[in-house]
Amino acid sequence: MRDGPLCGHRASHRHRGESVSEQVESLIRKDYSAGFHTQIESDTLRPGLDEDVIRFISAKKEEPQWLLEWRLKAFRAWQEMEEPTWAHVSYPLVDFQALSYYSAPRSMANKPKSLDEVDPELLATYAKLGIPLHEQEALAGVAVDAVFDSVSVVTTYRAKLEEVGVIFCPISEAVHRFPELVKKYLGSVVPQKDNFYAALNSAVFSDGSFVYIPKGVRCPMELSTYFRINEVKTGQFERTLIVADEGSHVSYLEGCTAPMRDENQLHAAVVELVALDDAQIKYSTVQNWYPGDKEGKGGIYNFVTKRGVCHRNARISWTQVETGSAITWKYPSCILKGDNSVGEFYSVALTNNLQQADTGTKMIHLGKNTRSTIVAKGISAGRSQSAYRGLVRINAGAEGARNYTQCDSLLIGDRCGAHTFPYIESRNASAVIEHEATTSKVSDDQLFLCQQRGLDAEKAVSMIVNGFCREVFKELPMEFAVEAGKLLEVSLEGSVG
Amino acid sequence: MNELPEATFQQQVLQLAQGQDVPDWLNSLRLAGAREWREAAWPGRRTELWKYTPLAALRKHRFQQACGTLPVWPRDLPLQVDAIRLVFVNGVFDAAASSPAHSAVVRFSAADAEQQALIARHLGHVATTTRHLFASLSNALVADGVLVHVAKDQALDKPVHIVHVAVPQAEPVVVNPRVLVVLESHSQMELIEQFVSDSQVQNSFVNSLTEIHCGAGAQLRHYRVNLEQEQLLHVGGVHVDLWRDAHYRGFTLAEGSVLKRIDYQINHQAAGASAVLDGIYLPRNQQLLDYHTNVEHKAPHCTTSETFRGIVADEARAVFNGRIHIHPQAQKTLAELNNRTLLTSDRAEIDTKPELEIYADDVKCAHGATVSQLDTTAQFYLRSRGLSETQARSMLSFGFINELLQGIEQPAVREHLHAHLQRLFAESLPVTVTAP
Repeated sequence: MRDGPLCGHRASHRHRGESVSEQVESLIRKDYSAGFHTQIESDTLRPGLDEDVIRFISAKKEEPQWLLEWRLKAFRAWQEMEEPTWAHVSYPLVDFQALSYYSAPRSMANKPKSLDEVDPELLATYAKLGIPLHEQEALAGVAVDAVFDSVSVVTTYRAKLEEVGVIFCPISEAVHRFPELVKKYLGSVVPQKDNFYAALNSAVFSDGSFVYIPKGVRCPMELSTYFRINEVKTGQFERTLIVADEGSHVSYLEGCTAPMRDENQLHAAVVELVALDDAQIKYSTVQNWYPGDKEGKGGIYNFVTKRGVCHRNARISWTQVETGSAITWKYPSCILKGDNSVGEFYSVALTNNLQQADTGTKMIHLGKNTRSTIVAKGISAGRSQSAYRGLVRINAGAEGARNYTQCDSLLIGDRCGAHTFPYIESRNASAVIEHEATTSKVSDDQLFLCQQRGLDAEKAVSMIVNGFCREVFKELPMEFAVEAGKLLEVSLEGSVG
Repeated sequence: MNELPEATFQQQVLQLAQGQDVPDWLNSLRLAGAREWREAAWPGRRTELWKYTPLAALRKHRFQQACGTLPVWPRDLPLQVDAIRLVFVNGVFDAAASSPAHSAVVRFSAADAEQQALIARHLGHVATTTRHLFASLSNALVADGVLVHVAKDQALDKPVHIVHVAVPQAEPVVVNPRVLVVLESHSQMELIEQFVSDSQVQNSFVNSLTEIHCGAGAQLRHYRVNLEQEQLLHVGGVHVDLWRDAHYRGFTLAEGSVLKRIDYQINHQAAGASAVLDGIYLPRNQQLLDYHTNVEHKAPHCTTSETFRGIVADEARAVFNGRIHIHPQAQKTLAELNNRTLLTSDRAEIDTKPELEIYADDVKCAHGATVSQLDTTAQFYLRSRGLSETQARSMLSFGFINELLQGIEQPAVREHLHAHLQRLFAESLPVTVTAP
């Protein structure tokens, strides 16, 4: 920059700003509580990626020939593709040959039939993370599919779900039991060649959840998946496919953690949602992958493709609370294909230390009278960078389409960044699109007011941040809202200056 | 004619530099520009800055250097204002249509040694080519231009009015208008840049570049009006450096053409600078109009307020990209950007992207964008008062942008545009709107 004549002035201002921001920063220093590693015997495939690895994964899962062909097609496409560089993040490129593409706890080799047969070490891991499978079965009434590294460990509550015809099982199992459904919908929303990471996932995906809700059924409980990366030098590539048949309704929760490691681990997932006529899908995520340490060492690269397609009168609602990962590259999207369909996106992204997040959504309006709402809240602290990147596209046929977008950023500290890149493309005169974005900081006035009412600084910041995120939290299912609130509180825990 | 390959086009345009009559002291800038232009990757659909604006129209022609003789042109094109006027016809200075020489305004070709030094110091230094590729072409082809220099603590009593007239020639030509404004500290002036054309003009390519240096406390009011025939290709850039407490007030209005792209680059270089920029875009038929604005906040206590409104009709396409970049040292920044677009036809398209990049925490920034059609209740109201549907529509469309026209402080510009737009909106009217 060219030198301004005002250095003295700027310095004095900085000094004053620092005392406040330092105080605030001390509040947001946190430790990652899910960062332990479970000593468990695993079968982990040698690092590297070629067609043999894909054949191995496919064989291991005893997959039918068509799926192997499908994977190979994706792999060949992936080899031709280049890693995307347009996101507002910087990181050393991933060496895809240094990763292992399959890891499974050894005790899973002889598949357990019920919870009682699962390795107690594994169950203890989930208990430590706050998902005691037994307890949840008994109390919460949430059906959980837990994915440990590359395989699905256990799916609870299955019998009860099957009574009403809901299928909720690992996708590897669905391939065998419901091949017609899987064949019909796999890759129908996110094609193999969609993007670099989706292609990679399509080639090597190991496991994930499969959900099918039959016509007119309202799923009697919340469905949930918990993802855990445990092994060293592995990547996790799960694939989730949710199909809600006509007039059905489902709410799905997803949580993720990983041990603390100095290296960067890759998580490249694909989530596909299909909401047929009049169906509703609510997809909530609390993402708390290991974010790396204070110097930015280690942490998960979270490169995820999530997309849903809405048929006539259908509704898809994405809610996400993103607090973890070193790098987040994630744009849960809706294709509003049917008339009168509705897409929603509610997001809180908290970045701290050297985390970088480039996240947002895409709303593609194709049908008439389609509506979409986007509420994105970004909180940047420390030296982190968070960006909202969104696309609202109204096609010529989307008569009467409506979009409302609001993205707000909160900055904590003077070394972080908050960015907004909204793309708005309208080709229909009857569409109405509104976009608003604001950026502000936790102001001295707000802090002062709270403290003057007897709250300590820590509570005050936590309260202000929670208030800032309220619009999104209220969209989360109750259990998750509590967890998300706590997660932010933990993030803000620390000594008061 | 078929499109030229990209590299061939880049090379071919550069060849135009060879036949030019150029003062020696401009050579280093020309060479640097030529090198940059030659080495630059040609922008395509995957180039973020040109994502929505194809440049294929440029490559359809083999452009020639405009001939040095002065063609005949309709004298009623420049707006009537009491000003220091300079008229360029296809880049050639028309002394007869211009006002007598003034000490504050000089053409590069007539600059004395002191002025040459001033030009050399600033020309090509305000403009950056990183976000504006065509600035390097402008550098490569720079031969003449206008220097406006206002000395310390001086205020020009009249506006400076620079008119670029495009007229038809046998072959499509490249015109490379260049303006450099240097305002010393605490000086003031008003600049009107007007781009007009003869109605017969075909396929000429105007690549204009205006560089503005506002010293400490300097104030500039700047109007830039593009009303040309739609076959004309126009790529324009305005680059502004604002130093301590300087103030820039900009207004820009454009109709579309086969290809029209206008870049504003405003740099807050020192504390306390402020900028206000209003813009109106009115593409229709099958025109394309692209506005890219970029405001760099590099110092604390600066403010930016940007308002762009547009009406896109018929099968036209408008692109708007408004970026505000707050650097880490730019604490206490106030910045806001507002973009509103009306689509009046089902085949019209708008691609808008208001961007914020913020690296400082103690700032207040906001942007908003809306895309909609005319308010149906307002239309109903007007129709219930006896206006026809088209009358009601034109009236409301005009009202939508009139707010920004009202903000124009220079009466001559305001009245000229007011009359022009009233004609434009009345074109679609079967009956003129008259008061009862």
